[in-house]
Amino acid sequence: MYGIGLIKGLGVTLKHFIETYLDDIRWLGRRYYRDESLAERQGPHARGIFTVQYPEEKLPVPEEFRCIPFLVYEVGEDGERLYRCTSCGICSKVCPPQCIWIVRSNDPETGRPIPSPTEFFIDIDICMNCGLCAEYCPFDAIKMDHDYELASYDRLADHIYNKERLSKPVTYYESIRPMNFAFEEAARAEKEAAKEARRKAK
Amino acid sequence: MGDDLNGPEYQVPEELRSHITITTLDRIYNWGRRSSVWPMMFGLACCAIEMICVAASRYDFSRFGMEVMRPSPRQSDLMIVSGTVTKKMIPQIVRLYNQMPEPKYVLAMGACASGGGPFKEGYNVVSGVDKFIPVDVYVPGCPPTPQALLNGLIKLQEKIDTQSIRTVRWYKREASEPIPIPILGPDLIDPRDIPILDAKRASVVKPDVPENS
Repeated sequence: MYGIGLIKGLGVTLKHFIETYLDDIRWLGRRYYRDESLAERQGPHARGIFTVQYPEEKLPVPEEFRCIPFLVYEVGEDGERLYRCTSCGICSKVCPPQCIWIVRSNDPETGRPIPSPTEFFIDIDICMNCGLCAEYCPFDAIKMDHDYELASYDRLADHIYNKERLSKPVTYYESIRPMNFAFEEAARAEKEAAKEARRKAK
Repeated sequence: MGDDLNGPEYQVPEELRSHITITTLDRIYNWGRRSSVWPMMFGLACCAIEMICVAASRYDFSRFGMEVMRPSPRQSDLMIVSGTVTKKMIPQIVRLYNQMPEPKYVLAMGACASGGGPFKEGYNVVSGVDKFIPVDVYVPGCPPTPQALLNGLIKLQEKIDTQSIRTVRWYKREASEPIPIPILGPDLIDPRDIPILDAKRASVVKPDVPENS
């Protein structure tokens, strides 16, 4: 008989429709806008509609999620920003779409280059979120951000990020990528220890 | 709904709030428009996959009144430029933009549509659709996640909220001009540049060539 498939398909829709109301009763009006219920609705035991009610609730992003890069700085004793970046320019060389622009400067007294970027620009409308800059950075100074809500009305005014807008503290990096941070800190401590041991051996 | 529509300058007594709404013409007009932004159904590249995902049930932009993606420019309000705009494609995109009835909006989705992305110096790619048509919202990302696109669409709704009937370009006395459609030859020619190119050609000093050589 013709039309059986059609009725079956509509039956699935009807099932989801009814199950949404049954699920509403099960959660007693607490089905939306809460992390636990969102996890349940996105999981394998979801019943009824599973739409993410976006502005109110957001899907958690995985740790390795990457949007645009940011510059990591450490807060010094006087509250000043100690950038890890040495303006070596490796990131801007490996960047496939060439969206990084670094301004270097020399010390006016000695005439030698300052190992910190004077300005740092990233055109986030060119950036392809590949993460090669973070991958290649030898100083762990540039990392990929999790914030994806970057839409704006003016490309040139809002979407060419300067050093000020790119800078995020190292505590922020720790909060978005705890596993990577712990791994990197362990590697750094090991390196320091090895250096110390070599120095003592001499 | 009442909260959206009630003007803050009018005080409605508490007991009448569920029955009466006092609002301005701008506000109710914008409320109607922002709740029924119909996007045009076309995709250009990989960003289109994310746009399809936004239309599907997990993200579902029908919650913002955008459920019907129209396959015809005559019925759509919003053009989501989702992907790389090649030089071969831009004449069609400008043509579609001209065919859309006003009020119309353009959302550049992803790096390629906003600024050319990884292909910004490519021989066959327009580096940014805003070289030809006015873009209202830029959504960065490569591609933007569905939630980032939803964020851009909410930004567009906020923009619609700020507009006023008195100042928008489509109620001006003079009719709005269509954008000249670029000509695709060996390379792309923008008709708006032709006078400049002509002037440049006229200013070039021709080398002296003897008559019968």
